[in-house]
Amino acid sequence: MIAEKKKRKKIDVGKCVMYLVVGLVVAVCLYPFLTVLAYSLSDGAAVTRGEVSIFPVGFQLTAYKEILKQTQIWTAMRVSIFVTIVGTALGLILTIFASYALSKPDLWGGKAITAFILFTMYFSGGMIPTFLIVKSVGLYDSIWSLILPSSMNVFNFIVMRTFFRQLPMELKEAAYIDGAGEMKILFQIVLPLSMPIIATIGLYYAVDYWNDYFSALLYIQSPEKYSLQLRLRQMLFAGDMNQLTSTDSAGVQVVQETLKMACIVVTTLPIIAVYPWLQKYFVKGVMVGSVKG
Amino acid sequence: MARKLQAEDTLRLRKKKAVSRGYAKEEKRQPGECVDVRNEEGDMKEVKMNTVSRLGEYQSKEKRRKTIRSRLWRDKWLYLMLVPVILYFIVFKYAPMFGIVMAFQDYNIFQGITGSEFVGLKVFKTIFSKQQFWNSIRNTLLLNLGTLVVNFPLTIILALLLNEITSKRFKKFSQSILYLPHFISWVVVSGIATNLFNLTNGTINNLIQAVGGEAIPFLSSNGWWVFTYIICNLWKEAGWGTIIYLAALTGVDESLYEAAYLDGATKFQRIIYVTLPLIKSVVITMLILALSKMMSIGLDTPLLLGNTKVMAVSEVISTYVYRIGIQNAEYSMSTAIGLFQSVVNIIILFLADRFAKAIGEEGIL
Repeated sequence: MIAEKKKRKKIDVGKCVMYLVVGLVVAVCLYPFLTVLAYSLSDGAAVTRGEVSIFPVGFQLTAYKEILKQTQIWTAMRVSIFVTIVGTALGLILTIFASYALSKPDLWGGKAITAFILFTMYFSGGMIPTFLIVKSVGLYDSIWSLILPSSMNVFNFIVMRTFFRQLPMELKEAAYIDGAGEMKILFQIVLPLSMPIIATIGLYYAVDYWNDYFSALLYIQSPEKYSLQLRLRQMLFAGDMNQLTSTDSAGVQVVQETLKMACIVVTTLPIIAVYPWLQKYFVKGVMVGSVKG
Repeated sequence: MARKLQAEDTLRLRKKKAVSRGYAKEEKRQPGECVDVRNEEGDMKEVKMNTVSRLGEYQSKEKRRKTIRSRLWRDKWLYLMLVPVILYFIVFKYAPMFGIVMAFQDYNIFQGITGSEFVGLKVFKTIFSKQQFWNSIRNTLLLNLGTLVVNFPLTIILALLLNEITSKRFKKFSQSILYLPHFISWVVVSGIATNLFNLTNGTINNLIQAVGGEAIPFLSSNGWWVFTYIICNLWKEAGWGTIIYLAALTGVDESLYEAAYLDGATKFQRIIYVTLPLIKSVVITMLILALSKMMSIGLDTPLLLGNTKVMAVSEVISTYVYRIGIQNAEYSMSTAIGLFQSVVNIIILFLADRFAKAIGEEGIL
């Protein structure tokens, strides 16, 4: 009896340790986010004195008010929103078309086309040849250069094709017997069943476009077409911020550091806002993707 | 009655259509099976299927051509869907591949690919004689290896820990937080890293100094920069990396654990002897995948996290390609380095695939 009790207690200790360790890891993971938030909401003087860690000191919203006045950020925000929405839509359309067509087992030439697509995952022309092509098709310094050159991701294609293949054949068969056409089957039977995977792939595309920094660095020259990430980078590092540091109407000094962190918050907020809604889907998506295509 | 017959007829017709579209299965005749065929005179005649005569061969060829054409017609919508896809790959993926010719040319912007002079392997000779090139390869391998050594085991340990959490709510909450950094851009991560690790007034150094330590040059000394790079990668990807292991662990037979428990295995022993073997093949596949990517690092991370002070360790192949290609406009050299990297990558990939198959795991290709 006593021994049994002891044993149960021991197991509970092990459990506690597990929870503690995971909790600690989660805290460490969260820490950088909290400091950024705290910095952005703190009084500039406290930040300069190095008093801020995870709680704001001298809470105020001056940094955010300052950002509202920065037209550059809002221009870049508009560019990024456009690129993300159009890019995600285009990416989804291409991926759905490709995976639906190539998920059909007896499509004539289907294997060759799949190989044609998969090959690009392992071999590419490289940065400079791609750059020259983008230039020669007239996309250089166009907002479309941020969308078109990366409009379909091969990995996403594999995930979606695997998913389509797992759908029961009988569904399509039944639809045919009922006299439905290919397009009708795709839009009325296959797609409604594929919402989880579409949400997942859509999230992947959206995050990729939203976070994209390098395409803008390569292909964009005019500042009014900068993507948000490129603009943020410049603000964070190029000392672009000096001119922004100013005293606002109330005479409170806005310090560079708080302003930078506020920029980071504004840039990251859209992702954090959609993240909880899509979370239940993407785990499933990864599982489908882990089945080899 | 007649109506029912008619309905059956249309059903059969549609079924036939479905068969011809490749969705429904056709009842296949066994080779050599005897079938009754009525000849023109109306007599019953026994014909053996699959007897090959010249005429038959010709006919079957003709028939195949016909079926290909009919299959193409049948799937016209699918081919129509593939048109934009193929167009995209031709323009943005395959057309650049012809640009590789530049690696063997003394490329001149004004003369273009068609007008520039071919110089054979001269460009490669120039590259191989550059110390910077070899440095970039060394750094690529160093950073990848460092990330692998730290990230890989910690990801597995984290997955095992998460798997032991029984409270559904706590598990879900932890996972939400742990997956989040994966979706944050490297620009933001580098901004946060600067805020945290800065030598003067960085949050971490403030803490260190508060407890009486000396400020550490996380971002400006070569050794510490590698450390920072690995930590940032760990923060961003370790949580996300657990998904694949957790996926492998869902649907595990609970009775395995019960049996182990009844045999008196402690929690730790159960993890080592039950859970770990269950994910062994996933672990090996992930390891081989990681190894096959040893020679490539995305450009974002080192470019954004690095600075001029730590160039000696932060310059990897991709950033080198970017710097000499875009910034110095040395198109031939940059393309040649890219090609070299692609070829090495493919070789490693094939070797890794062979290796995976040799040890009895699923290949990665």
